[in-house]
Amino acid sequence: MDTTSSQPSNSNQAASEASKYLVNLPSRGLFSSTVISSNPGGMRVYICDHETSPPEEQLIKTNQTNILIRSLTLKKQKGDSSSKDVKGTTATEVSKKRTAERALDSRSSSKRAMTNAQSSSRREGSGSSARTSDRDYQSLTVERLRALLKERGLSPKGKKDELIARLKGVNG
Amino acid sequence: MSVWNYVVTAHKPTNVTHSCVGNFTGPQELNLIIAKCTRIEIHLLTPQGLQPMLDVPIYGRIATLELFRPHGEAQDFLFIATERYKFCVLQWDAENSEVITRAMGDVSDRIGRPTDNGQIGIIDPDCRLIGLHLYDGLFKVIPFDNKGQLKEAFNIRLEELQVLDIKFLYGCSKPTIVVLYQDNKDARHVKTYEVALKDKDFVEGPWAQNNLDNGADLLIPVPPPLCGVLIIGEETIVYCSASAFKAIPIRPSITKAYGRVDADGSRYLLGDHAGLLHLLVITHEKEKVTGLKIELLGETSIASTISYLDNAFVYVGSSYGDSQLIKIHLQPDAKGSYVEVLERYVNLGPIVDFCVVDLERQGQGQVVTCSGAYKDGSLRIVRNGIGINEQASVELQGIKGMWSLRSSTDDPHDTFLVVSFISETRILAMNLEDELEETEIEGFCSQVQTLFCHDAVYDQLVQVTSSSVRLVGSTSRELRNEWKAPSGYSVNVATANATQVLLATGGGHLVYLEIGDGTLTEVKHAQLEYDISCLDINPIGENPNFSQLAAVGMWTDISVRIFSLPDLNLITKEYLGGEIIPRSVLLCSFEGIPYLLCALGDGHLLNFLLNMSTGELTDRKKVSLGTQPITLRTFSSKNTTHVFAASDRPTVIYSSNKKLLYSNVNLKEVSHMCPFNSAAFPDSLAIAKEGDLTIGTIDDIQKLHIRSIPLGEHARRICHQEQSRTFAICSLKYNQSSTEESEMHFIRLLDDQTFEFISTYPLDTFEYGCSILSCSFSDDSNVYYCVGTAYVLPEENEPTKGRILVFIVEDGKLQLIAEKETKGAVYSLNAFNGKLLAAINQKIQLYKWMLRDDGTRELQSESGHHGHILALYVQTRGDFIVVGDLMKSISLLIYKHEEGAIEERARDYNANWMSAVEILDDDIYLGAENNFNIFTVRKNSEGATDEERGRLEVVGEYHLGEFVNRFRHGSLVMRLPDSDVGQIPTVIFGTVNGVIGVIASLPHDQYVFLEKLQANLRKVIKGVGGLSHEQWRSFNNEKKTVDAKNFLDGDLIETFLDLNRTRMDEISKAMGVSVEELCKRVEELTRLH
Repeated sequence: MDTTSSQPSNSNQAASEASKYLVNLPSRGLFSSTVISSNPGGMRVYICDHETSPPEEQLIKTNQTNILIRSLTLKKQKGDSSSKDVKGTTATEVSKKRTAERALDSRSSSKRAMTNAQSSSRREGSGSSARTSDRDYQSLTVERLRALLKERGLSPKGKKDELIARLKGVNG
Repeated sequence: MSVWNYVVTAHKPTNVTHSCVGNFTGPQELNLIIAKCTRIEIHLLTPQGLQPMLDVPIYGRIATLELFRPHGEAQDFLFIATERYKFCVLQWDAENSEVITRAMGDVSDRIGRPTDNGQIGIIDPDCRLIGLHLYDGLFKVIPFDNKGQLKEAFNIRLEELQVLDIKFLYGCSKPTIVVLYQDNKDARHVKTYEVALKDKDFVEGPWAQNNLDNGADLLIPVPPPLCGVLIIGEETIVYCSASAFKAIPIRPSITKAYGRVDADGSRYLLGDHAGLLHLLVITHEKEKVTGLKIELLGETSIASTISYLDNAFVYVGSSYGDSQLIKIHLQPDAKGSYVEVLERYVNLGPIVDFCVVDLERQGQGQVVTCSGAYKDGSLRIVRNGIGINEQASVELQGIKGMWSLRSSTDDPHDTFLVVSFISETRILAMNLEDELEETEIEGFCSQVQTLFCHDAVYDQLVQVTSSSVRLVGSTSRELRNEWKAPSGYSVNVATANATQVLLATGGGHLVYLEIGDGTLTEVKHAQLEYDISCLDINPIGENPNFSQLAAVGMWTDISVRIFSLPDLNLITKEYLGGEIIPRSVLLCSFEGIPYLLCALGDGHLLNFLLNMSTGELTDRKKVSLGTQPITLRTFSSKNTTHVFAASDRPTVIYSSNKKLLYSNVNLKEVSHMCPFNSAAFPDSLAIAKEGDLTIGTIDDIQKLHIRSIPLGEHARRICHQEQSRTFAICSLKYNQSSTEESEMHFIRLLDDQTFEFISTYPLDTFEYGCSILSCSFSDDSNVYYCVGTAYVLPEENEPTKGRILVFIVEDGKLQLIAEKETKGAVYSLNAFNGKLLAAINQKIQLYKWMLRDDGTRELQSESGHHGHILALYVQTRGDFIVVGDLMKSISLLIYKHEEGAIEERARDYNANWMSAVEILDDDIYLGAENNFNIFTVRKNSEGATDEERGRLEVVGEYHLGEFVNRFRHGSLVMRLPDSDVGQIPTVIFGTVNGVIGVIASLPHDQYVFLEKLQANLRKVIKGVGGLSHEQWRSFNNEKKTVDAKNFLDGDLIETFLDLNRTRMDEISKAMGVSVEELCKRVEELTRLH
């Protein structure tokens, strides 16, 4: 049986069903007249002969900072300010993870990313590792240290002190 | 034609792309706002229905339209983003009735690949930011500050590259978007992100959902208290939030649009690709979603946008058919549908093809379009001017005047029609069989010409002849009183209303009479210095039976004067200038504004604003309606008064938005007209033309008339054949009845009067009709329809096989005479030197029409030309062939008779992706390309080197903002050889948005003049939202953006006529040309469409 012939019977069965859901359609008293007037055709064409430029500060421009640079500088600022703040660190971590992913992404889709963006990402990447070496690894969790090791292609096994030693060994 | 072109819209875009409802024009006013590509329409919702308010042109193609309410505002703002990366925020200033710009900006990025799935523009429900997705991998944020002001925008990297939809979630403490995307394995997922405004970055959102329906394409955010999002797929609908997941299966369909019904978001209307309307219900208990329900409501046009208005009324905007106002009923009708279509708003889009024909053979072009798509496909007959539907006609020569009279003052209908001839007067009346029959009114003098007749008070009729004024009882039909002209004087002109008579005799005598019950009193007499040429005392004041003013046109000093009544004092004298005497004056009132119209003997018409109390005449305007003397007469249609100007080019004068408009009537020459509202012919007009007296009704008073012929299938090509009086179309029908969707292609023959299918030739499976042509061949007097087809096989990227079919129309049937197989799709067919020129994939091929030994005919390949990517559009002129290529712009080929070969002569080396071409003249060719631009190229035959001669020089460029599917030579208006615009050659174009436009080639001096006017208008008429006209019209594609050249924007230029006087003066001053002259020159241009 094809669907066209089955359709009406379906809808008939469902008739009461749909009605149930159609009760109390919102109304604010508009379209309430029994005779709904039809459009009397012509509509006034708006002629704009007044000044239309927006208020001065409302001419919106886009921030021209490269997104990558912005997120890295932002992270740096955060990293600096949050070295004492534990909460801040987690936030930095999250965004750092994202940056790493992005750097990967930009490399894999090299045809889309601009060359200067790539080179800057590399430069920034090396900068960020130098920055981590300055940091007191003791304040990081084991999990985080393992992640850092993984990033550097090192074994994430062992105790916390071993991990720190391994990390320092690379950076030093 | 020439390189100096003027582009103007004859029919505005009607394709509705977006709509929204909100309090835009006032805190208490609810508006429906509709986007029609380059225009927005603002309507007001009232208890009586939709009330149109304003039609706002936008200098851009609208990509997104949203209403939002910033903090602390009492009414909504409108956010518009255009396809060329501009955005603006508009606010309605109710005090001045102006649209003001709150903010605007350019949101383009220098780097970035434009999104494939269209631009997305969304506004956070808590109004913290605007989000835009314009380029793959980027999400642009325009944040709001606390005061609702916008701040500098910034981009955020969006990892998802193939984004299908993005929406803001409701009820989130931080602005949160939900992204529907496709991964590189074509699986679809949703993900949420919080927008961290301070850090200008995304933070992973509260939830995500992987592996959705493969057809998931639309997100609907659900408002509080439920929150979350609905994900609409092709086979399932899913409700998703951080805490809940509900899914229901649906019948396979592609949802194109949704409209939220309830403020709490528990019900939605969904419109699918087949035009079915469903109700989606979220069932919930204690603010927890318990399930989803979907119900079929009925059928509408295929929706592109749905807006729930109020009280079960819904606006359905469509791109493929007419937009509709529907009502949803609580109970289904007999067919099980809950939907009642209350109103249809005409949409011509997409115009896939059209032809220009003159069906009534009046020298007036009509455009027949292939409009709409899928089930909403139709033919539309678009005609300029007002038609008269003839009801009855009598042959009567030499009519000098006509008036209708009632049999009693209270009778709502006219009974008598008085027809005056040079030496007699005849009276016609409706008899019992509703036939027009000659009768007599005994009291009338029927042996002489009647100068004027009118109904008078007290059941009387008044007749003015050259010797007397006769007052006759309308029931007794007997003479009750008579006023005789003084001996030696005869009445030359006369006019009357229900209580007054004004007449003029030779020697400049003006006599004023008043009508009483059986009395005619000469109240006043005045002696003027010259003879009087015309008079009028049409009452337009408070008293409908008595006029306090009389208008008098004069010989010799060529003036029009206003006298007060009854004392006949001269209060105004206005010299008309020139040497042409006024032949008809009329006092009339349009939309409550009193005017004096004065028609001259050379077909010009002057109009003045009339001050009823002082008699002062202001705001003089002059237009040319024809070349012969005009007679003015008022008539009523649909309770509105209009003026009929009878002349060699009959015109109806009406008023819209307090502006006088002129619309020509589709009749050749009318000498006299009078309204004749009889019981048998209600609301009719009696029209005297060319030896005939015709009674007919008049069309709606508007400029363009559109008749729809719904086909229920999608017409893609159309062609008219004069000889067989038929149209042939290539069409396709989608069959959705079976589980497998299939489509069938046909060649259909239609009668050109009734538009009924009279014959059908079905094409093979997978065979598409690509082109159609009516032509004849050398050595064969028959006229044939030739059809080019392509076999579009699912496994092939480009068709490699097609056919050319040759049909003849015999006894209203399509008879296949010959067929020829081709090695590709036949994209275009042209008649060429008695042969057939076909564009087949990358090749141009010429076929001869050969007689075989057995007397049958066949197409035989003669010569060809390779070297195109796909030769899609071909036009020919003489031996020249102009080819529009898929991506290689325009090239010019020539057919060499001696060698029988086709060679390339020149080409345009730009990489334009063409959508239509046309030859303007021997040297200039017009093209349209797929970035909505048009351009002209010129053959350079005087070039010094072969290289120069082989290059088509780009001479004109312009951003039309419309996708042109077809150009055709022709005109929508009656071309009178003796009028100025009659000499201007024009090309008509049809677009995807339903625009019909005209490109007119102007003489160089006129072009220069109008270019200057356009430059001045740009300074006065500003783009809404601060968008620039210059930027909008600049030619723009991926490769370049250059200023428009050698094309003028007629839409802007013609707005001059709508400006107020001070603005006109401003421009007149800047131009150094009088306002009147400017008006005249611009008004002439409006006659092109």
